[in-house]
Amino acid sequence: MIENFLTGTAALFGDPVTIVIFVAGVIGGMLFGAIPGVSMLTLAAILLPFTAHLEPAQGVMLFAVIYCTGTYGGAITAILFNIPGAPENAPTAFDGYPMTRNGQSGKAVGAAVLCSALGGVASALIMMAATEPLAKWAISAIGPPEIFALVFFGLAVASSVGGHNIWKGWLSVMLGLMVATIGQDPVGGINRYNFGFPDLAAGIAFVPAILGFFAVSEVFVQAEKKAIGTYAAPKLSVDFPTVVELWAEKLAVVRSILIGFFCGILPGIGATLAAFMGYGEAVRWSKNRSEFGKGKLEGVISSETANNAATGAAMIPLLALGLPGGALTAMMVAVFQMHDLEPGPLVFYNSPELIWVVFAAMFFANLSILFIGLLETKTILYLLKIPFQFLAPLILLLATIGAYIGRGLVLDVMVMFGAGIIGFLLRRSGYSIAGIVLGIILGKIGEQNFAQAMQMLHYEWTGYLDRPIGLLLLVAGALTLGASVYRAFFAKPAAAPEENAKESA
Amino acid sequence: MGRLSTVHTIEIVAWSVFVLVFFAYSFEFNQNIEIYKFGATGWPRALLLLTALAVLGNAVYHWRFGDKIQEGRIGIMDDGDEGAQRDIASYLRTGAILLLPFVFAYLLKPVGFYSAAPVFIVLVILLLGERRIGWVIGITVFVYLLLLLFFMVLLNAPLPQGTVSPFYDFSGQLLTWNTQFQEWMK
Repeated sequence: MIENFLTGTAALFGDPVTIVIFVAGVIGGMLFGAIPGVSMLTLAAILLPFTAHLEPAQGVMLFAVIYCTGTYGGAITAILFNIPGAPENAPTAFDGYPMTRNGQSGKAVGAAVLCSALGGVASALIMMAATEPLAKWAISAIGPPEIFALVFFGLAVASSVGGHNIWKGWLSVMLGLMVATIGQDPVGGINRYNFGFPDLAAGIAFVPAILGFFAVSEVFVQAEKKAIGTYAAPKLSVDFPTVVELWAEKLAVVRSILIGFFCGILPGIGATLAAFMGYGEAVRWSKNRSEFGKGKLEGVISSETANNAATGAAMIPLLALGLPGGALTAMMVAVFQMHDLEPGPLVFYNSPELIWVVFAAMFFANLSILFIGLLETKTILYLLKIPFQFLAPLILLLATIGAYIGRGLVLDVMVMFGAGIIGFLLRRSGYSIAGIVLGIILGKIGEQNFAQAMQMLHYEWTGYLDRPIGLLLLVAGALTLGASVYRAFFAKPAAAPEENAKESA
Repeated sequence: MGRLSTVHTIEIVAWSVFVLVFFAYSFEFNQNIEIYKFGATGWPRALLLLTALAVLGNAVYHWRFGDKIQEGRIGIMDDGDEGAQRDIASYLRTGAILLLPFVFAYLLKPVGFYSAAPVFIVLVILLLGERRIGWVIGITVFVYLLLLLFFMVLLNAPLPQGTVSPFYDFSGQLLTWNTQFQEWMK
């Protein structure tokens, strides 16, 4: 492994063009992740046609680097503006944004930098050491029943966070799942809910919906505050977390690396579910559950470690099996295909140099998060100084470009602004935007794997008794949901929002 | 009526309509799939059933506890404007800021991004309360040039050019200058 890694490193840093592409990927991923309104997916969509002019290793490496650094970059906007740069950063906002409002933005961003780098480097090392055996294990032990069970568990966790009560959390997830049913069904290809619009046959595009729910709805919320005079600019602070504070969260880091890696390795699951699960488990194991959501460092650490730990793991099903784990890894398949290559087991034998250049690039990209991230953090924090009325048009226009570029349809821009208004109204009524987005992301994957699982198990749920991993995940999901429903009916509710405000005043 | 307020009732009615409309529309694609017992409607109808149960649970929760937040909930977005005084002007401003992006999106096809964007920037800044003309013009020019530089010059991103003259001609002129600039750079 070490010899291969050194060969990959030499190939990466031995060619000036490859170095330039690597550095451009690192900076571009961070930049697009950190600009509110666009994301690494926007950058990847713009760059995809240009990769045809690159060497195969350079093209795949560029996307892998953007994936690593973009996943970190999205945390910055989640923390500073409550606008996650990508869905995998949504749980980061749960505690990151309250930290900003409490004047601890520096601590939150500093923790995100360090933990993203830690999660990513650990994941890259495991990936280098064990891609082939892990892929073989995943083939034998994980099938559609397990993937469906994990999706169910993830959605149960998502319904437990965000909404004012479990029903609102669950309704948010259901809305996302229903949005995902628009378009062709994944088994028979039958058109569903297109309401007479031919463009909807391909479904609601993922990027515009996410931009609408996260970025546009946040602009609307802040704009309303401006209109009624309750807007308060976030507080700027450049204090980084201390070593003692970070050391105290070591268990959260290790737990999130394991969760992130497990979620990342499963085809189709990816970093988003990893972040939600990392955050959810941090809450479950914490002695101070009530502090989560109010600006707890552990929340930021758990989410950011888990999502970056999933980036390395997501390469395993992609490279070893040819199965993409998300939108960006799906674009990487397109890069392979542009160069007449197919990701899968044969790539390891036909193009080992390509694989090791990608592995080395991911390792160094995660390391660079630490160095470049720490250098740029203090500068980025000054974004908070920009008055909202000047930032808002930039965010809305970047989101417009991000929504339009994917398919070149004005309908997608309409969908984005529609999602923004729906998100704005639902947030006011105590629903969970993160739950809706996770529902949209996992809807198709969940349905497809449910259908395959039912066919495999001959439509008998008892078939899960022979599949311990799937059974465990189903039971964990049912318990998570059951506990929340029980608390909704039998536990004492907290104070009403107005009463909370009065108490804090 | 317990602690159900008008807002809760509207919420319950809206969700119920959502479930009924989607259920009714599911008959439009109620086709069998030979290899799959549940067909094309099985999954969405199961989701609608779960949604209906959650609507019922939500109604019971509001009936018993009103607006109180369930104990132990985490990650709640604190939008923090409960109890704020709202007047007609604030409603109008909020309505305008919600409506403006739709008008902008509607105009993208005929007018194009390059012509519509500067007007959109000015209107957003004004609606958000900025009245210093120098700042409005300065920020509009800065944001517009920044977007052109990044997406048109650096990335050659294909943006809507418009279909109606003179907006289409203006977009065409900008793109021609961009092409000439790119060739000069080579």
